[in-house]
Amino acid sequence: MARGELRIFLGAAPGVGKTYTMLEEAHRRVERGTDVAVAFVETHGRKHTHAMLADLEVLPRRTVTYRGVEFTEMDLDAVLARKPEVAVVDEFAHTNVPGSRNAKRWQDIQELLNAGIDVLTTVNVQHLESLNDVVARITGVEQRETVPDALVRAAEQVELVDMTPEALRRRMAHGNIYKPEKIDAALGNYFRTGNLTALRELALLWLADKVEDQLGKYRADHGINATWETRERVVVALTGGPEGDTLIRRAARIAARDKGADLMAVHVTRNDGLAGADPAALSRQRVLVESLGGTYHQVVGADVPRALLDFARAVNATQIVLGVSSRGKLAQLFSAGVGVTTTAMSGSIDVHLVTHERAAQGRRAQRLPAALSRRRRIAGFAATIAGLPALTALLHAGPSLSLTNDILLFLAAVVGVSLIGGLWPALLAAVAGSLLLNYFFTPPIGRFTIAEIDNLLALAIFVIVAIAVSWVVDTAARKTRQAAQAGADAQTLATVAGSVLRGERPLIALLDRLRETFALQSVTLLEDGVVVANVGDTTCTVAADADAEVKVDDHLKVLLRGRPLEASARRIVEAFAAQAAVALRQERLSAEAASAKPLAEADRMRTALLAAVSHDLRTPLASAKAAVASLRSADVHFDDDDRSELLATADESLDRLDRLVANLLDMSRLQAGALGVTLIGIGVEDIVPRALDDLGPDGRKVAVHIPDDIPLVHADPGLLERIVVNLTANALRYSPAEQLPVITASTLSGTLELRIIDHGPGIPADRWDDVFLPFQRLGDRDNHTGVGLGLALSRGLTEAMGGTLTPEDTPGGGLTMILALPTVSGT
Amino acid sequence: MTRILVVDDEPQIVRALRINLAARHYDVDTAPDGASALRAASHHHPDLVVLDLGLPDMEGTEVIRGLRGWTTIPIIVLSGRVDSRDKVRALDAGADDYITKPFGVDELLARIRAVTRRAQPAGEPPPVATIGRHAIDLAARSVTGGEGLVRLSPTEWQLLEHLLRHPGKLLSQRALLQGVWGPEYLTETNYLRQYMARLRRKLETDPAHPRHLLTEPGMGYRFQP
Repeated sequence: MARGELRIFLGAAPGVGKTYTMLEEAHRRVERGTDVAVAFVETHGRKHTHAMLADLEVLPRRTVTYRGVEFTEMDLDAVLARKPEVAVVDEFAHTNVPGSRNAKRWQDIQELLNAGIDVLTTVNVQHLESLNDVVARITGVEQRETVPDALVRAAEQVELVDMTPEALRRRMAHGNIYKPEKIDAALGNYFRTGNLTALRELALLWLADKVEDQLGKYRADHGINATWETRERVVVALTGGPEGDTLIRRAARIAARDKGADLMAVHVTRNDGLAGADPAALSRQRVLVESLGGTYHQVVGADVPRALLDFARAVNATQIVLGVSSRGKLAQLFSAGVGVTTTAMSGSIDVHLVTHERAAQGRRAQRLPAALSRRRRIAGFAATIAGLPALTALLHAGPSLSLTNDILLFLAAVVGVSLIGGLWPALLAAVAGSLLLNYFFTPPIGRFTIAEIDNLLALAIFVIVAIAVSWVVDTAARKTRQAAQAGADAQTLATVAGSVLRGERPLIALLDRLRETFALQSVTLLEDGVVVANVGDTTCTVAADADAEVKVDDHLKVLLRGRPLEASARRIVEAFAAQAAVALRQERLSAEAASAKPLAEADRMRTALLAAVSHDLRTPLASAKAAVASLRSADVHFDDDDRSELLATADESLDRLDRLVANLLDMSRLQAGALGVTLIGIGVEDIVPRALDDLGPDGRKVAVHIPDDIPLVHADPGLLERIVVNLTANALRYSPAEQLPVITASTLSGTLELRIIDHGPGIPADRWDDVFLPFQRLGDRDNHTGVGLGLALSRGLTEAMGGTLTPEDTPGGGLTMILALPTVSGT
Repeated sequence: MTRILVVDDEPQIVRALRINLAARHYDVDTAPDGASALRAASHHHPDLVVLDLGLPDMEGTEVIRGLRGWTTIPIIVLSGRVDSRDKVRALDAGADDYITKPFGVDELLARIRAVTRRAQPAGEPPPVATIGRHAIDLAARSVTGGEGLVRLSPTEWQLLEHLLRHPGKLLSQRALLQGVWGPEYLTETNYLRQYMARLRRKLETDPAHPRHLLTEPGMGYRFQP
């Protein structure tokens, strides 16, 4: 019998519509005349999904009792007996209730497939075994139900049911996925946009079979970057040549292909005397990179491939784009180009070698006389060792010349070696040359006659000439090198000046550029010993910790850490430091300018605010006073009903006044930093009922769901009660009469989340931050909302206790306030 | 007749208290500051002190310590300070209860009754208390009324008995732990929390909104008859 076919609907998260899509497929097959039976489908009470079941044959479930609780499971035997052509079985990764025939549902499904039944099923990416730990780290929720990857891979078809995180969150907010009171700390955390993006990306990668290599990077990145940082990062290397534009465009296309990849251009300024970069071309390319959404960077290094790779690794690049060498064929014979060397050393970073119209045409002949590199010294020695014997042999074999000419030829050879290899080869050549002359050409031939003063003089002259010539050569080379270094420095400084003028936060950009240019760990700007700006992983506060210290003026200094500074670099760092001081001053000036504007506004605010507060204080005071004064008046007589109504008015007004005064007092204490906070371990189940009692009869209508085993939180009982009172009063104010607020509590990794859920009109997400500003209502014309202290105070008090207060949409409409507090560990 | 010393520097509060207490047939002495309070206490031997914390000449907690030097009469603090620290400090100094201003006169009277009841001599009446729909007979160790049978473990009985024998009175966590579990369990506040939760579940009509077995966060527990 042929084995059945397995089709899996893979989703990134609950709620993307796997079951719905699966049922659509079932309908399609029914229409084609296939015999389809639904063996097990979980609709989670979602009504659209439920409607999809209407016309399908649903097989009865098996009821299992385990530890006194009833569960329903797929009735495997019944499905096997019914033997449809296609069975629909939800949740591939489900774990059966203990005592079932198979421990896992996927084992049940194997039996169905073996019986020749085709199966449609669903699975979420977090249930895939290989992704399990990654998902747990992204979401903070441990997944217990897993399914071996091989089983999913073996399926005849895997279909991704995809939905953007934004759309999924909208569905969540509409209440199409979970009921509001079902959402606890873990679930709320799971559905953050960042998490959903990462999960979706994982699902796509897994499906694209790319997951193995990507996963390694993902894990490596995880510790450093934010959880969802699975991005590609493309680095394009620029030589300053005209081919750069082509490379940048090509790199931008590569980056665009990986959605959201970063583009970074880097130019390595060589400091070994090999110039070549055209500053005008570089600055044009910089503009091009920035216009394509990338960033431009510059590093200094003698060894281009190494400097390039150091930079790429530092920025976690995944791909490098390089131009194919533009050197001539001859040059390529002697040394491997930058591209080849980079590729060989790149390790896990992909290297793209891009061809361009200037490839292999030979670069402009602008290579300046080089400094005395190692290679040149070796060449000098080689010329000595090979050349002098050759000259000797030539003179012996050829027509006999006068001794004078022999001597001049040898002297010319020594000068030649000096020009090639500098001092040391020249000395060797001088000594060897004079010895060879002495032995082979001056009589007595075939014997060393150094002792004679004449010959000793000849040797001395040889050596003096060699030293003189090589000194000139060395000096020239050193000058050239200095010129090249100065050129590189000037280029870096030009970049510095550019970044100060351009960036949004020039100071940080500047320090960052400094750190990058000299490959430092950290750069810290200190003012009178106090850190004013820092970039890098560590912060130096005293000169003893730093590898180098550069003073700007009496107050400012820059501390560098990472490597000691050579003297030549110091000059440029000083220039950086001076620029940093300018940038600092510039930042301070603009901050001052920015703060001057609100002052004028604050004055106007204060007037309006005073009106609002005095209105809110006076209104209850006036009604209480009026009520009491009426009761005291001697000229009228009130009956009992009137008396008790007047008394109730006074009492209510005074209660209102009391709450307002308490809020105002706490707000000013909070702003003055004089709030007395005593954190003790308390149970929210003790605080919430008290808070609700404070709210009078309305408070009693609020439903409370707090689990018995909820841990204690670190909080101040009085303050926590005030917060819950304020939040619940708000929730009550905006709730429709038929749908009262609900309070739930749940925990996730050391944090307790108290959710105050209302079904009112809600608040648009872009106004979430505004509602926490105090005194939003100005003036004295509104009698219903109060001065708007409640939420501001609640957030302030929460933060004073080390917690957070954040709003969220209630699924189905309304606002959910999430009060998160640290739990007492060990309980 | 019970004699009460009211210590407060705010004449309006003193007047309101004097009228209310006298109307309930208490003898009332008043003192506007700490020194005269201590003097009045030693001369008139009141049965109870109602004390404000912010007095013009000394801190209220000093007055508590001064009184505790020679007498165990109940002290109820009546203060505008709402910080948990102030409450704990006053209770540690020897106060029996703490009420924050503004306060309900009914609440104050209930607390006065609760703390003076304890001070009455032994020979207590057989305590039968009601919690929700349940009638609890400590002598017979039985819970009647309500639906279904309520069974309490020996520890639950002991805890309940401590609370019921001091109706309305604030009992500190320490005192309850010491009384029920013994002196070596003084820090095991978690036991208390669990057992209180169990008692509420078994006895309160709405355990999430307890009416009788109350927690005073940071201070202790109270049985509200």
